[in-house]
Amino acid sequence: MMLPKKGDPIIIQNITGKYGRFHAKLMLDYGTNIAAGATPGKGGQTVEGVPVFNKVAEAVENTGAKASVLFVPAEFAYGAGEEAILAGIKLLVVITEHIPVRDTLRLIQLANTNGASIIGPNCPGLIVPSARVKMGIMPVTSFAPGNVALFSRSGTLMYEIAGQLTKGGFGQSVALGIGGDPVTGTTTSECLDFVEGLEDTRAVVVVGEIGGDAEERLAAHISKSGRRKPVVAYIAGRHAPKEKKLGHAGAIIYGNYGTAESKIRALSAAGVGVAMTPMEVPSLVANALR
Amino acid sequence: MKLFEYQAKELFRVYSIPVPKSVLAPDVGAAGDAFEALRHPVVLKAQVLAGGRGKAGGVVAVSDEAAARREAARIFDLSIGGEKPAYVLVEESYPHQSELYLSVSLDRGERSFVAIAASAGGIDVESLSGKVIRKVPLDGIDEKFAREVAARVGLREPGAGQFVTILVALERLSREKECELAEINPLAVGMDGNLLALDAKMIVDDNALFRHPEFAKLHPEDEFEGEASKQGFALVRLEGDIAVVGNGAGLVLSTLDLVGDAGGKAACFLDLGGGAQEERIEAALRLVNRLPGVRRILVNIYGGITRTTDVAEGIRTVLSEGPVKPLYARVSGAEEEAARKLLEGTPVNLFKSAPEAVAAVVKPS
Repeated sequence: MMLPKKGDPIIIQNITGKYGRFHAKLMLDYGTNIAAGATPGKGGQTVEGVPVFNKVAEAVENTGAKASVLFVPAEFAYGAGEEAILAGIKLLVVITEHIPVRDTLRLIQLANTNGASIIGPNCPGLIVPSARVKMGIMPVTSFAPGNVALFSRSGTLMYEIAGQLTKGGFGQSVALGIGGDPVTGTTTSECLDFVEGLEDTRAVVVVGEIGGDAEERLAAHISKSGRRKPVVAYIAGRHAPKEKKLGHAGAIIYGNYGTAESKIRALSAAGVGVAMTPMEVPSLVANALR
Repeated sequence: MKLFEYQAKELFRVYSIPVPKSVLAPDVGAAGDAFEALRHPVVLKAQVLAGGRGKAGGVVAVSDEAAARREAARIFDLSIGGEKPAYVLVEESYPHQSELYLSVSLDRGERSFVAIAASAGGIDVESLSGKVIRKVPLDGIDEKFAREVAARVGLREPGAGQFVTILVALERLSREKECELAEINPLAVGMDGNLLALDAKMIVDDNALFRHPEFAKLHPEDEFEGEASKQGFALVRLEGDIAVVGNGAGLVLSTLDLVGDAGGKAACFLDLGGGAQEERIEAALRLVNRLPGVRRILVNIYGGITRTTDVAEGIRTVLSEGPVKPLYARVSGAEEEAARKLLEGTPVNLFKSAPEAVAAVVKPS
């Protein structure tokens, strides 16, 4: 995975839709170089001064973009992702919710064979405050430049915890939404490997929730790799009922699989400081950096 | 979406996976008639989606018609995980020498579908030992794949050949119907060695339902949860008395935890979703206000794309329409000062932090 740098050209797929249009403006306002949009049949239009092309390949040819944000409806998301990858896009941020899991798996397979990375689906995107790069839908007021990397399965909880961190004096080197689906293009373990090599990152905050075993795998990964950057976690859903999908497609407990207890136990055993509430996160980060 | 056993078995029949002969009985009389029409003894099975059906007394074998009627009446009166069976499946029992486990399911961590088989069945997959687990390619499996699984499970003929056919069919069913799980547990090995799927469990990917109109309307959904999804937000009903409303699944989950830690019980989980505007907030408040069991309402908003002022306006509108149950709110984030001003002088109990709002809603003074 390569994070976009300040001024890197970025395209938005389905920039002509309601959400694409709205968020294109907010990304531009933040300072992100939204260089082009792509929507089939809408080539020649402009949105917020940004030229729109019919095909991603044309947008890439005209701008040199290597990164794309997708606001494409779930039914068409696989096709749009495939088009982007085949046009040479190397970083796809998939905001779309409700993509069938088999479509996500196929897209991940295609990305792997073409050396592309997928963030999401069903995620708020990513933000690099120091570079004023935003590929996503997060409210920028919660974020500030700094040395904490923040990775979250949940959107609003990421904003809330970013806000708490910022208020506590801990800005973010990068904040990235993993996504709330059962299968995501990038895992928290991969994110952790990525920031291990980032000089401006001194600590990592991981926001998890019930469902699946991403946090257990993260714990095993931390134990195995013996890394040095401290990790703080918060896991939502300690009081969640079983066998109920709670808002996110991936937030569901089956039997003893996917419980918050299991995740907290695994992370604690791996030496991760686990906050019991979002409000506790900044003080755990402060402890970890002391 | 989880299917009932009888629905999954109907699909098994279409895919040539052998299942016992059965009749679906909507009432006690039909269960008695079904007994007469089938070979005895039969097994009566409550058709519910909740787990723990056997332990709750929802499965019983009977050998005469009087017992069939008596037991069917008892099962129709059961509440299994809060669910009343709409049907009893009356099924010919199958004497067998051993049981196997077989499933095709999504392995989230591996980001792949997997086939799981074991030479002991009838118990929870988590408790199975000696499981054979193999990744399933996205475009499907062939007989060679299935034969290797059969060999590792240690099956002999005629079971091994039938197992191969069944696994290939189960994988095709799982792929074509876009299931997260298609499970046969147990897969019985009969006295003559022939295999029969005694139970069937299928969970279809909710996000793929737009490609599968055949599954639409299979389930009578909760009236309130259905209304919520039509209005564009997610509602899950729970058993307590505090309605928990927020914007974003993770934030609402975390609010449930705060409520639980403070000793309260949530009546529902309501996620307004991203970028909720006034109308959606109003619809959500009206809905939880008339949701059975709700005594107080907790609203936890972290403003961003959702404007806190829109939330405040929405609350004011609903308050102006008539009586609303006691409201406790924490509204934070962008434009929170303006939102607080809008709510001044209203009956809303307003708090600066989520823990304060939760403490108040759990133990009202």
